[in-house]
Amino acid sequence: MIVLVMNAGSSSLKYQLYNMKNEAVLAQGRVERIGMDSSIVTHEPTDKPEVRQVSEILDHNTAVRKVIDLLTHAEHGVLKAMTEIKAVGHRVVHGGESFKQSTVVTPEVKLEIRKLFDLAPLHNPPAMMGILAVEANLPGVPQAVVFDTAFHQSMPQESFLYPIPMVLYRRHKIRRYGFHGTSHDYVSHKAAEVIGQPLKSLKLVTCHIGNGASCTAILEGKSFDTSMGLTPLEGLMMGTRSGDMDPAIVPFTMNKEDLTLSEVSSMLNKHSGLQAISGLSSDMREITDAMKEGDKNAKLAFDMYTYRLRKYIGAYAAAMNGIDAIVFTAGVGENSSVVRKAVVDGITFLGAELDDARNDVRSKEARFISTDASRVKVLVVPTNEELLIARDTYNLVKTK
Amino acid sequence: MNIRKVGVIGAGTMGQGIAEMLAFKGLDVYVTEQSADRLSQAMSAIELSLDKQIEKWALTQAEKKLVLNRIHPIQKLSDLSGCELVIETITEDLDSKKIVFDQLDRLCGPNVILASNTSTLSLTELAGVTAYPERVIGMHFVYPVMKTDLVEIVRGLKTSDDTFNKTKEFVEDVIQKKGVMVFESPGFVTTRLICLFINEALHVLEEGVASAEDIDSAMRIGYSFQHGPFEMADRFGLDSVLAALDRMFREYGELKYRPSIVLKKMVRAGHLGIKTGIGFFNYDKDGDRI
Repeated sequence: MIVLVMNAGSSSLKYQLYNMKNEAVLAQGRVERIGMDSSIVTHEPTDKPEVRQVSEILDHNTAVRKVIDLLTHAEHGVLKAMTEIKAVGHRVVHGGESFKQSTVVTPEVKLEIRKLFDLAPLHNPPAMMGILAVEANLPGVPQAVVFDTAFHQSMPQESFLYPIPMVLYRRHKIRRYGFHGTSHDYVSHKAAEVIGQPLKSLKLVTCHIGNGASCTAILEGKSFDTSMGLTPLEGLMMGTRSGDMDPAIVPFTMNKEDLTLSEVSSMLNKHSGLQAISGLSSDMREITDAMKEGDKNAKLAFDMYTYRLRKYIGAYAAAMNGIDAIVFTAGVGENSSVVRKAVVDGITFLGAELDDARNDVRSKEARFISTDASRVKVLVVPTNEELLIARDTYNLVKTK
Repeated sequence: MNIRKVGVIGAGTMGQGIAEMLAFKGLDVYVTEQSADRLSQAMSAIELSLDKQIEKWALTQAEKKLVLNRIHPIQKLSDLSGCELVIETITEDLDSKKIVFDQLDRLCGPNVILASNTSTLSLTELAGVTAYPERVIGMHFVYPVMKTDLVEIVRGLKTSDDTFNKTKEFVEDVIQKKGVMVFESPGFVTTRLICLFINEALHVLEEGVASAEDIDSAMRIGYSFQHGPFEMADRFGLDSVLAALDRMFREYGELKYRPSIVLKKMVRAGHLGIKTGIGFFNYDKDGDRI
C-alpha cells in the first residue's frame, strides 16, 4: 500500500511517500513560503534527481495539488496515477485530551481538532488546512491523524497537573500535554529492540534534543512524565526557548522593561535559550565550534544546556525509582557526541558509563554508546516520525 | 474573497504603523506618499520601529527582514491596481481625501474595498465622489497600531453589508484585531470620547486644580490608563487633537467640544508633543519621556 505522510505548517508543507510493503521511501520533499508569490518546492524522488521549482502557491490546497502533480509527473514522478495513493497520514501537533491515539479522519474528528485550535493556534489550523486540501484533491482516500501529544496521554494526574487552582484545569484544560510524542514513542520501541528486552520491562529516559527539546520518562512502555508542558516552552533549555524558569520572572520583566504579553512571549520563545546565553547562535554545532575556539559565552551556553539535561534525567530516574537506559535522538542527540559526553559523564552515579570510541562513531543506525559493563545502557536512536505516522496510518486504514 | 495585497496611501505616523502591522501579519503591502523623499523617510521610520521591537524582543532579525520584504514602496497610485483593499491615511482634510478617492475609484475594480482611516470626516461625503459608494468604508485604527487591537469599522450611508462583512472578516480573522461597528458620526466612538477626556483635563489644568504630572498620575494609576490624558495627547500630536476637537465643535455645535485655550497656544508655539520633542512633557528622539 502507498501511503502519503504530510506535515503542514503555517507556511510550509513537508511530505514523504512510503511503500508500506517494505517501508521504503519513494519520494520526499517540501513546499516552503506558501502564501507568497515565490513559493519554493523541493521534490526529492528516491531514485531520480532532485527538482526545485519556484512558483506562486497561495494556499495549502494549491500546495497539495502541486505535490500530487510532482508525485505523478512523467519525468519527476514516482507514481503512474494519483489513485495509487491509498491513504494519507497527517501530523497534528495538539490532540488535547480528546485523542489518546492516532485515528482515522471523520467529520467528528475534524470538529474535535477545530475545538483544539485554541490550545495550538499556530500549529493545528495548518494541519486542518492540509486535511481539507487532501479531501479536495484526493476525494475518497482515507486519511489518518497522528498527534504529537497522544503518546503522553498515558501520564498520571500527578505528572500532568500543575499545582495551581484546579478550576483552571476544569475551565481551560490547563495541564501538561507534552510534545514530540511520535518521536519518543518511536525511539523507545527501537531502543527496546536494540537492548533485546521487552519495552514493558524497561525504565527509559528518552531525550529528543533538536531545535526544540524534550525529555520523557517511559515506564512500562508508556509516557510517565515529560518535560514540555501546556506549550513547547517548558522543560529543557533549547535553541531559542528558555525552558524552565521561575514564572514570576514574567510579570517582573514585563513591569521592569515595559513589555506587552506578545513581547514577553516572543522573548521567551525566540530570544532565549542557547541564542541568548551565547549571543552567537541557536545552533549547537556553532556553539561547540566556538567553544573549541575558547568562546566563554558559548561554553556557558553549552554548560547550562547539558546541566539542565542531566537534572531532568536524574529527576526522571527518581520519578520512576530506577533507570535502565537513556536514549538520545533528534538533531543534537543524534549528532553531537560532545553534548552526549557532557551529559553522561556527569551522571555516572546512576550507573551510566560512556564508551568514548562508540560515542564518537557517526552512524545512521540505532546503537549503544555505553560500555558493555555499563549498568544503565546509553543509546543513540535516529528518530523517524514520518515512518511512525505512515505505520499508524497503514494500520488504521488496513483494518477498515 | 481572500485579501492578500493591501494598498496604503499616505505614510505618516498612522500610515507607517498600518503598513508595518499589515506586513507583520503576513500581507503584501504597497505604500505610496506624495514624494519620493517622504516615501524613503517613511521606510526608514518603519525600519527604525522594527529595530525598536527587536530591542524589546518582540521580533527577530529574520522576521524583520521578512516584514520589510513585504512592504513595497510605490511611486504611482496606479501601482495599487492589483490590491484587494486600499487604506487611505493621508492628512485629515476632506478635499484632499476626495481627490484620492476619486482617483482610486477609477483605478480599482468595483470589488476592491476602499477604506479611509479618517477619525472625524464623513464617509458618506467621501463616498459621494465615487461611482461605487457601496465599497467605501471607514477603518479607523488606533495609535499605536501594532499594539492596539482595535479597529472602528465605520459604515457610511451607502456602505453595503457585503463590504462591511468582508472588512470585519479581514479585521478579525486576518489581522486579528477586534472590529467594532460604528455608524458614521463625527469622531465615531474613540476620538469623540478620548478628545473630550483630554479637553476636560486641559480645563482642570487651566483652573489650577492640579499639575499636568499629577492629573496624569491620577488617571493612569487610579483608572488603569496606560498613559494619562496629557501624555496621551503628546503621543497623538497636539495638532491632531486640536483639529479633531475643532471639527467636532463645528459639526455638533456644542460647547463641550470647544478646544481649550492652552491647547491652541501650545500648537501655535509648535509644541506638538512627541514629534517635536516637547509638549506637556519632554521626549527624546525615540519618543521616550525624559
